[in-house]
Parts: sequence; structure tokens; C-alpha cells
Amino acid sequence: MNTLNNKRWWEPYLWLLPSIVLMAIFVVFPIAIVFRLSFSEISKSGIVGGFIGFRNFKEAIGLPAFKTVMINTFWWVLSVVGLSTLIGFALALVLNKKFHGRKIARAIVVFPWATSLVIQASVWNYIIKYEYGNLNNVLLNLGIIKQAVNWRSSYQVEFIWECWVGIFVTIPFVTFCVLSGLQSIDGTLYEAATVDGAGGWAKLWKITLPLVRPSLTVSTVLNIIYVFNSFPIIYTMTKGAPANKTDTLITYLYMLNFYDRKKGPATALSVIGFVILCICAGIYMITVMRKEDDT
Amino acid sequence: MTPDVTRSRNRTALRLLIAAAVAVCVLLSLTCTVFRAGIYTKKSANTAVGDEKYLAARAEVDTVAEEYRTKGFDVAVSETVTERTNSKGETSSLVTFSISQELEKNGWSFLGTGLPSSVILTVLLSCVLLSVACAAAGVLGSMGELPRYLGPREKILRSAAGLFALIALLLVPVFVMSNTVIFSRKLGLYSAGTVTEGAEAFYRKVGDYLFGNAAGTDPSGALKGLTFRNTPAFWLTMIPLFAMVLAAVQLRHGTIGNTLLRGLLYAFVLLVSVVFLYPYYVMLVSAFRSNAETNDMYFLHLLPTKWVWSNLTDIVKRGVPRYLLNSAMIAGGATLIAMLCGIPAAYAMARMNFKGKNAFLGFVIMSQMFSPVVLLIGIVQLMSTLKLNDSILGLMFINAAFNQAFAIWLLRGTFVSISPEMEQAAKIDGCNTVQSLLRVLLPMAAPGIVTTLIFIFINAWNEYTISTVLISTAGNRPITVGITQFSSFNMIEWQYLFAASLLATIPVVILFMCIEKHLVSGLTSGGVKG
Repeated sequence: MNTLNNKRWWEPYLWLLPSIVLMAIFVVFPIAIVFRLSFSEISKSGIVGGFIGFRNFKEAIGLPAFKTVMINTFWWVLSVVGLSTLIGFALALVLNKKFHGRKIARAIVVFPWATSLVIQASVWNYIIKYEYGNLNNVLLNLGIIKQAVNWRSSYQVEFIWECWVGIFVTIPFVTFCVLSGLQSIDGTLYEAATVDGAGGWAKLWKITLPLVRPSLTVSTVLNIIYVFNSFPIIYTMTKGAPANKTDTLITYLYMLNFYDRKKGPATALSVIGFVILCICAGIYMITVMRKEDDT
Repeated sequence: MTPDVTRSRNRTALRLLIAAAVAVCVLLSLTCTVFRAGIYTKKSANTAVGDEKYLAARAEVDTVAEEYRTKGFDVAVSETVTERTNSKGETSSLVTFSISQELEKNGWSFLGTGLPSSVILTVLLSCVLLSVACAAAGVLGSMGELPRYLGPREKILRSAAGLFALIALLLVPVFVMSNTVIFSRKLGLYSAGTVTEGAEAFYRKVGDYLFGNAAGTDPSGALKGLTFRNTPAFWLTMIPLFAMVLAAVQLRHGTIGNTLLRGLLYAFVLLVSVVFLYPYYVMLVSAFRSNAETNDMYFLHLLPTKWVWSNLTDIVKRGVPRYLLNSAMIAGGATLIAMLCGIPAAYAMARMNFKGKNAFLGFVIMSQMFSPVVLLIGIVQLMSTLKLNDSILGLMFINAAFNQAFAIWLLRGTFVSISPEMEQAAKIDGCNTVQSLLRVLLPMAAPGIVTTLIFIFINAWNEYTISTVLISTAGNRPITVGITQFSSFNMIEWQYLFAASLLATIPVVILFMCIEKHLVSGLTSGGVKG
């Protein structure tokens, strides 16, 4: 490692410069703009007026759909992250075992991760169509159901389907995070536990879980952030209809800004979302930094 | 275990296997499906039970029934009476006579009928026979009573016995399902007239099966009112078939427990694979169906009846190659920019010490959280100020910037894992820092760089939200936005949507599978996701 050279102290910064410029312009600048807009008066056509304090925030919180949207966001993040973590973990345990066709199985599990969310959502949108959807077609042709089932009978059911697609595309990430954790576990630990007479459950709780916990924490926190930010699934499948009942914060602020032209409250919602993200990011950073210290 | 014990256990297992196979054959001779075919109906209105009109109709129906009986049908006559009151307050009855035939068919009767279920049943029975033959040969082999050339294959024979029994077991639900589909869905659609193609041949086959050649006439009338139910008898065959599997496992491994667990594992993996591949199956088959077939709720097949390759040429005319090209340019440009900015930064982070290093690292990790979506409004404003809205160049920069964190993090990890000694040696030989980076470090870090490269490319390729907001000119759309033109508000051209999706998905899935292995190691440290 190069030691700090007094004469050329600026050299490392020169190496960082392109990266810093890129991120300053395209990441930090938009943040600043959003913050400035959220405290300014904005007309429907987007002309920015003077400073108005927290009026945009008040208006945003006072919107009739605000409460529904926040509750939806909460359930969306909780169900998608929770269930995908659970299923992804179980899947990783299975894929970590040695069996014929493991490579193929792993490759298949990668599929949803590599597919664009808008495509994935379109496919599921077609699958669950009532009149001619593929799920009904397959089940009818297999003789499992006798009549076409309406898979999207109400907006609650539609929201559950959206959550399922969210879970489906999130599972691979969890699985591969946990797999990378599992691969670093020393096999002799299990042998020792077997000698001591530990059963399968005891090994899972006492060895596997504690040792993959770091990977699990990373994947969970990152998933909270990614799922919170997820836009294409809900936008493609329901567009928040009916009346914002299936919207999350992200899709709602998009609709608010680009459809309803309520730019003031929309930027306020952006800032609210940004603050929530920062809190999650802070937690994540502390976890990662602590892990860095450990190793 | 002594050879004697092994031998006697083997014999017991073999006997169990053969007994189970016999039980399967016995169960097949029980009634497994009951059909009720309505051959003839006559309605007689404005009558009362017992009056002249009723008796006349009854006599007429009886004559018809007698005719059918002489033809060899075993028919029964039934009548239902509906009371009606007309506007004048007079009560009359509507009597419906029907001549119907109950047919009880056992499993064997399906053989050789040419129906799909008969094919399945044939395969099932051959599997049972083969399983018995393999098991017997395997046991005989261990006793040295087998021709020499089969002797060493004893283990394979025993495995095959289990495999055949397993296939037979799995074919039972397939058989019942195919029965349900043939007699309920297909027949229903044919008789309702919603599907006409192939109806005649189908009627003939089913008619031959149910009534034999006795019908001699067009059986379609009789088949219109056909109802059927499966009896539990056929499902019961699963019990002896399962016993056959267990016996074969005992023969092959000496114990059963481990193999059962293993079987559960494979079943689970199979289930997961089916669920994960299902959307891709839908994409594939729907991309090559005709528009009518994608929108047909009475569609009878799991695959397209005719693979419509012209869907591909149609989407070519609708601008899809342009969108793919745009996507490739955006993703390629973003990757290039991200790498050009990221490699020096990662190099500095890995090889140099300076003030503010930790602060920068913190910022890099933080910026991973900033989804472009939540900043969308800010980005739109910025891009119109920079005159980069509605341009491919703008999307390149945005994608590069939001993937920068990942690039730096993963590249830094790769660089740190490579010892700096080689670079120092190069420097002693007179290289400057830039040369040592280009000539020594980068070639050694190639796998990590390729992984990062591909990952950023995929992320940028799959990006949808920003593009859909920033791009308004059709010619500048990436493929993710381009496919939405096939789903307008009231009409969705599913076949084009999926054909284009297929083209957009295949390359990235292949790329992703290439880096899957390397990704696992970089994951927990870097934290990445599309």
C-alpha cells in the first residue's frame, strides 16, 4: 500500500475524481433538486415559485389516499421481504445439498433475477387474466378445475398477486446471498455436532442460522430498500387502481406527479420516501461497517 | 449382514414387488369410470301423467328404446315431470322422457382404444412389467443364476426396477387427469359448439370406445349428454405402485429411510423448478400463438396448435430491432462509463491511503440505497436543464451513476484480494502507476471485472422506470419501454408483447447464468440487485 506522500497528496483524489463528478451530477444534484422543490411553490405546469415552508408536506399528508398508500407500502414491504426471505432461505438450504442436477436447479433459480421487472409483471398479468389467462387454461387442460376461476376478483386479491410477483422476483437474491453464507461454513462443525448427538433442527438453529446471519441481514436490509423502491410490478399490473387502493408510496408519487400534476405534494412524498430510505440505509451501513471491522 | 440374511431379505422384497404388481392388475379390473350417456330425449308438453297424450309419448319412447336394445345397447328409460301453471290458471305438466345408458368401464377397457388415456395406460402397464422383470433379473443376478453378461449389471437392473415403478406411480394422476380432460372439457366444448375442429374424429373414437361397433350410426347425439365420474378404484392403484417403489429401493440400497428423504428433496427441487419456469413457459408458448389463440378462453392445448413464426417478423416491422439496439447502446454506454469512472476509484480505494477514504466509502454504500425512482422528479428536472431528456446519452449517464456504487464496491473487493507485489515489481521495472494498473492488475482481475461489467449491463438493460419518463420519442425507446406499445388501454397484443419480451430476456438470462458462480462470492460483501 502506498503511504501518504506529502508532495503528491492530491493523487488519490485525482483517481476518485471521475467517479465523484459522475455521482455528484446525477445522484447528488437530483437529491438537492427534490429537496428544494419540496419547500417551494410549484404550479401545475411546473413553474417553481418561492419558499413556502412545509405547506407541500401538509398537503401531501392531507391527501385522501395518503393513509391507504402508507398502509399498502408497509404491507408490500413486510410481506414481500418477509416471505421471500423465508422461502429463499429454505431454497438455499436445499440447493446447498449435493444432488444430481444441482447446477441446473441453480441456473433456473437465477431466471427471475435476470428478467426485467416490467416483463415479469406483464407475464403474470397475462397468467392471471380471468377470461383467457394462462393459469386457467393450464388448470382446465390438466382437469384440475372444471370452470375458469376469476383470479383477480377484488383489489385485495390483485394486491396479493402483486405481492406474489414481488416475492417471486426477490427469492433468487435471498437464495444466492444465503448460499454464499452457507458455502463459507466449515463442514467439520456439523460433524462435531453429529458426534455430540445433535439432530437436524438443533444443527439448523445452533450452527447454520448464527453463521449465515450476516448474509441474511445484508439481504434483508437491501431487500427492504429495493422492494420499497419497486415500481414496475404495481405500475404494470394495476396502475394503483381502483382509486389508489393498490398503490405504494413510489407508484403513488409517480401518479401524483405525472398524471394528476400535483407536483408540490409529489416532491414532498419523494422527500418522505427519501428520509425513510436514509434511515434504512443508515442501519445497513452500520451493519456492513461492523462486519468489515470483524474481518 | 450375512449373505444369507441379505438373500432372504432380497427374496422378501422381490415377492412384495411381484405381489404389488399383481394387485395393480386386479385393481385395474374393477370399475374405474362410470359413464352416463343420454341417447334420446323426448319432451311432451301440456299433458298430465296418465292421460292419453302421455301414454302415446311413453309408447313411442318405449319403441325407440326397444330398437336400441335390439341394436345391443343396454338402455334404461327415465322420465321427469315438471308442473306448469299458465296465465289462465290451468295446471299442466311437461314430461321429459330420456333413454340413457349407464356404462361401467374398468381400467383394462381403455387399452387399445386410441384415446390419450389408453396410451398412458399402456406405458404404465409396461413400466410395471419392466419393473418386475428388472427386479427379478437383479435378484437372480446376485444369486449367480443369471447369464454372465447380465451379472455385473445387477445394480443397474435394481435401480431400473425402482425407476420404472416410480414412473408408473406418477402416471396414475396423469391418467385420471387425461380422462377428466377428454370426457369433461373436450366433450363439453365440442358439444357446445365452441370448438369444432377435430370434433368428428373425436366423437368417433369415444363412440367406438363406449358403445363398441353396436352404434353403427353417428354417436355424437348420444355423446352430447355424456356425464362421467371416476371411481376411487384407479386411485387405489397408487398404493401397490408405491409399495413396488419401496420394494425396489429396499432391493437396491438395503434400507428405505435415506432414499425416501432423497426422494422428497428431488420432489421439492422439481416443484420449485416448475414454478420458476412457469412464466417462461407462458412467455414462450404465447409468443408463438396467433392472436386468436392468446385471447381464446376455450383454448384446448398446452402448446400452440400452429407455431406462428410470423409474430417475429411482425414485431420486427413494429420497431423492435430499433428498441433492442437502443437498449444495447444504453446498457453498453452505461457499462463503459461506469467502468471508466469506477476502476480508478476502486483502485484508489484498494491501493492508497488518504483522508476521507472512509467517508467516501460510506457515501458509496449510501448511494446504493438511492433508488432513481424516488428521485425521479429531480432527475427529470436535471435532465431538462442539461438538455439530456429524451436522449440515449442521458440514460447512459443515469444508469452509470446509479450503478457506480456497485461497480466500486465489487471492483475494490477484487483488487484487494490480489496481492500488490506484482505491481510493485512492475514499478521497479520502470512502469508508472497507470501502466502497472493496465498491464498487471487489470489482466489479473479479469474475472471480477467481467462479472461487474455483465451485472451493470444487465441492470441497465432491464431498467424501465426512468426510461419511460425521460424518453418520449419512439425511436429512442429501449426495449423495456418499447414492449409497452403492444398493450394499449383496451387491446393487448399479447403475442407481440411476449415475442418482444422473449428477445429481450434470452440474452440477459444467458449472461446472468455465466456470472452466477462469481456473483455468489461477491454478493454479501457488495450487496447487489437488479
